[in-house]
Amino acid sequence: MTVKGEGLAKARTRKTSTRRNTASSKKKSTRRRRSSRKGLPQWLRFLVLGLALVAFGGGFVAASYVVRLDRVVVAKFAGKPFRVPSRVFSAPTIVYPGLDQQLVDLRGTLERLGYRESSDTKNLAPGRFVWSSGRVRVHLRAFEHPTRREPARDVVFRLRGNIIEEIREFPGGREVGAVQIEPEQIGAYYGPNREQRDLVTLDDVPDHLIDAILAVEDQRFQSHPGIDMRRIGGAMLANLRAGRVAQGGSTLTQQLVKNFFLTPERTMKRKVQEAVMALLVEVRYDKAAILTAYLNEIYFGQRGSTAIHGVGEATRLYFGKKPRELQVEESALLAAIIQSPNGLSPHRGSERALKRRNLVLELMHEQGRIDAATLERGRAIGLQLASVSPDPGDARYFLDLLRRQLAEGYDSEVLTTEGLRIYSTLDRRLQRIAANALRGGIEHLEKRYPKLKRDDPTKAVQGCLVAMRPQTGELLALVGGRSYGVSQFDRCTQARRPTGSVFKPFVYIAALEQVRGRPAITLADFLDDSPLEISTSQGAWRPENYDHKFNGRVHVREAIERSLNVATARLANDIGIARVADVARRLGIQGKLPLVPSLSLGTADVPPIEIARAYATIASGGVRPETQTIEDLVDASGQTLERRRLHFERVLDPGTAFLATSLLQGVVDRGTAKGVRATGLKGPIAAKTGTTDSERDLWFVGFTPELVAVVWIGFDEPESVGVPSSVGALPIWRKFIKEATGGRIRGAFMRPKDVESVEIEPATGARALPGCPTHRPEYFLTGTAPEQTCPDRTERRRRNREDTERGFMKWLRRNF
Amino acid sequence: MAAPKLLNEIRKRGPSFAFLALMAGFAVACATGGASRPSQEVRPLRISEVAGEGDPTRRASTRLVINGLKSSPPEQGLFDYERAIQIDATNPYAYLALAAYEIQWGDLEQGVQSLEQSELLLESEGLKSPRVEPHLIGLRGRAMLRSYDDVERSVGESWLDEARRMAPEVWGDGWLGVAELR
Repeated sequence: MTVKGEGLAKARTRKTSTRRNTASSKKKSTRRRRSSRKGLPQWLRFLVLGLALVAFGGGFVAASYVVRLDRVVVAKFAGKPFRVPSRVFSAPTIVYPGLDQQLVDLRGTLERLGYRESSDTKNLAPGRFVWSSGRVRVHLRAFEHPTRREPARDVVFRLRGNIIEEIREFPGGREVGAVQIEPEQIGAYYGPNREQRDLVTLDDVPDHLIDAILAVEDQRFQSHPGIDMRRIGGAMLANLRAGRVAQGGSTLTQQLVKNFFLTPERTMKRKVQEAVMALLVEVRYDKAAILTAYLNEIYFGQRGSTAIHGVGEATRLYFGKKPRELQVEESALLAAIIQSPNGLSPHRGSERALKRRNLVLELMHEQGRIDAATLERGRAIGLQLASVSPDPGDARYFLDLLRRQLAEGYDSEVLTTEGLRIYSTLDRRLQRIAANALRGGIEHLEKRYPKLKRDDPTKAVQGCLVAMRPQTGELLALVGGRSYGVSQFDRCTQARRPTGSVFKPFVYIAALEQVRGRPAITLADFLDDSPLEISTSQGAWRPENYDHKFNGRVHVREAIERSLNVATARLANDIGIARVADVARRLGIQGKLPLVPSLSLGTADVPPIEIARAYATIASGGVRPETQTIEDLVDASGQTLERRRLHFERVLDPGTAFLATSLLQGVVDRGTAKGVRATGLKGPIAAKTGTTDSERDLWFVGFTPELVAVVWIGFDEPESVGVPSSVGALPIWRKFIKEATGGRIRGAFMRPKDVESVEIEPATGARALPGCPTHRPEYFLTGTAPEQTCPDRTERRRRNREDTERGFMKWLRRNF
Repeated sequence: MAAPKLLNEIRKRGPSFAFLALMAGFAVACATGGASRPSQEVRPLRISEVAGEGDPTRRASTRLVINGLKSSPPEQGLFDYERAIQIDATNPYAYLALAAYEIQWGDLEQGVQSLEQSELLLESEGLKSPRVEPHLIGLRGRAMLRSYDDVERSVGESWLDEARRMAPEVWGDGWLGVAELR
C-alpha cells in the first residue's frame, strides 16, 4: 500500500469510530439533560437562559459594531483616503546673461522657494546657494515640469553690479545660455478643512525618516497587531507616577485611526473604538500600506489658516525640499514635532524643537537605528529651516479667476481633492509689484484728498490693475481690489464700468482703417471740434469737452492727445457708430456695445480685462491674443490634462495698428498722459487716459512693446472720485511699469512696410517739400499721404500736365 | 538706346518724347507678360547664425529657440519656443520656429498666424533679409498645400516651388527640417 492509500484507510477507520462515539455521547447527554432539569430550580433555569440570551444579544451587537467599523475602515482605505488640494504655480523664472538679477528678484525667488543660503562651497547640496560679492552659486533643484524634467544643476552667476554677466556650470565651467528656476506655488484649492498635503509613497522617503518616526512614536510597529499592550502598560504606569496624562500609549495605527475616523475627544468609548479599528486596520492591511497612510495623514501644524498634513508637505514647508533629500537630523526634527506640531514648531521656538529633535536622535541610536557617529554629527547641527513663504494673498484674485475658469471643466470636488497641478502664467514678481503699486497708489490718493477716505473699508475707494503680455495674451498680474480680505469682488474681471476716453482709440482706428481702399482720415487731417448736436431716440445729444470749451479746427493728433470729446464724437458719427463697435469687437471687447452716438466716448460698460486685451491687440500690431491664464494642467500622476497653446488671430492690419500706436505715443509725449514721463521713464510707451462723467471712473491704459497694463480707480457704488485719471490712475500705472521694467523699456513698436513717413506742414497738413517753412514727419499707410504740397505746387503741377498733353497732341498732329 | 542718349533726345524733343518713350516701355512690359524675375538662389538663414544678435534678452531668447530646435523628440522644442517668447515676445525667430513646428504638426491656421507675426517682426526690425524669405515662402506654401481647397493647394504648390528655387538644398524636398532651420 502506498503512503497515500494508507492514509485514506486510517481516515475511514477514524470516521467509523467517530460515528460510534457520537451515538453513545448523545445518549449520555440526553440522560444528563433530563437529570439536570429535575435538579435545577426553575428560577435558576430562567436566569441561565436570560444570561445566555443577553450574552447572545451582546455578542450580536458587538459583532454588528465591529462589522460597521470594518465597513468604515474598508470604505476609507478603498476609496480616496486623502483630500489633496490642487496647487497653482507661477510661471517659471528664466535667468540668463545680461539680465538684471533684480528684475527677477533672484534672491527673493530662491528664498521663497526654500533655497537656503550656505557658506559651505565644497559640498553645496541641491536647494542651497552661496551669495558673495560679484558671484552667486546656486545648486538648482531638479523639478518636474509637465513638458519636461529639469535636472538639478549647480551653476555660478557672475555679476557686475546687478547684471548677470555669465552663467557657468559648476564644476566644469561650461557656459550656460539660460537657466530655469522652478515655478513658485502661488496657492491651492482646499476643501472645507483647508488641508494641505503632498502625497508620498514609501519609495519617496528615506529610511532614516521612517526610523526616526518609529523610534519616537512606535518602536514595535512591525510586530504589534495594532495595539501595543506593553506600551499601554508603560504609559499607564508613567501617568500614574506623574499623576496626569504624561505619556500616550497609541501606536502609529491608532494615531492613524484617530486622525482618519475619529474626533479628538478623550473618552473611554472613543479609546475602545480606536483600539478596535486599529485591530481591524491591521487585519485588513499590511504594515507598508498603514505606514504610507500614516506618512500622508499625520498632522504637522498650521500655516496660516491651512493645516499641514503628511511628511511631503511638511518637508517642503520646513526645509523647502523633497523628502528624499532629507538629512538624518532633519528627519529627526520632523519626527520630533509630531507629538505637538504647533507647540514644538521650530518656527515658534527653536529650543524646545531642538531638544526634542536630539531626543529622537538618541532614541534612534538606542534602538540601533543610527550609529554613534551619526548621532554626534546630527546633534552638532543646529536647526536649519527654509524661510516660509508668506500666504500668497496678493495672488488670490488671480486664483479666484482661475477657479472660475476651471469650474467650466472641473468639478469643485475634483479641484479640492485630486491634487491637480496647475501651471499658470502669473509672474510672481510683477504680481507683487502690481499689488504694491495699487495699494500704495490708492493710499496716497486718500492722503492727498482726505475727503476720499471712508471709515467703512467696504465703501472705500477701490481699484484694480491687470497686466498682460500683448503678443501672447498671458495674464502676468491681476490685482482685483485693494484688499482681498475686505472684498473678494474682482474689479478687473467681474466689474463692468463705463470706459470713458480709453474707448476713443477704437474710433480713430475705425477712421484710419482702409475701407474700399481709402481710410476716412489720415494723421495729417483735421477734425472739427465745434458744438455738435446729434438727434437720438432719447432726444438731442450734445457732447462737451472735459473743460467745457470748443476748439474749432483741430489736428487729429491734437484731438486724441487732448482727449477732445466733441471732435471724436463727430468723427464717430461721420464714419458710423457701427464701424466703431465693429472695431472694438474685433479688438477683443466681448460685452454689449449699444449702437448709440455716445458709445464713441466710452459709455458702454466693459471689464478692465477686456480693455487690456483690446489694447494688447493694438500693441501686437493688430494680432489679437487669447487671454491666457494656464500653461499646463496635470493630474496627480503627472498626466497632462490640458496644455496651453499660444493662440492669436490677425484682426487689424499692421499698418493701422501702428498708426493707432503712434497716436497713443503722442498722448504720452504731449497729451493727457505726459505725466508718465514725469519720473524719467524713457522708451516706447503708448497710453490713454479715461475719466468718466463726474470723475466716477478713472482709467489708465498703456503699453510698451512687451507689456500692457490697465488701471481702474473708483468706488464700487459709483460716486465721484473728484480727480481726473491723470491724477488718480496714471501714477499707479507709472509706478508699476517703472518697477516692472526696471526703468528700461526695451524694444520698439513694429512699423510695418506699408507705413511710410512723410514730412508734412503741421498748419495745413500738406506734404512738405523743400522750401516749406515748417514741417514734421508723419506716418501714412502707403499711398494715403496728402497730395497737396507746401509750397503749393498742385496748381503748377496741373498746369505742367496740361502743357504736356497739349504738346503731345500737337506733336501727334504734326507727325501723323 | 543707352540712357544718356535717351536723355539728350528728351531734352531735344521735349516732354512729349518722354511721354512717348514711357508709353513704349509700358507696351514692351505688357508684351512680355510682366514676367517675374527668376528668383535668386540664396543661402537660407539658420537661426544659429543670428544667435549673437540683439540685446542680451534677444540673445537668450534665440538660444532657447536653438535649444528647442535641437530637442528630441521635436515636440519637446515647443516648450523652448514658448519660453523664448516668454522672455522676448518680440523675437521673430521664436515665432518662425513656432510656425515651422505648428505647420509640421498640422496646426495650419495657428502656424500661418505665427508666421505672419514672425514676418511682421522681421520687417519692423529690418531683419527681413532675402535669406529668410525661402522659409517664409516655403512654410506658407507648406501650410496651403494641406488645404482642402484646390485653388489654395495649387497656390501652395507654387509658393513651395518658389522656395525650392530659392533654396534648393533646404527646400528641395519640400520640407523644412529642424536641423535645417537651426
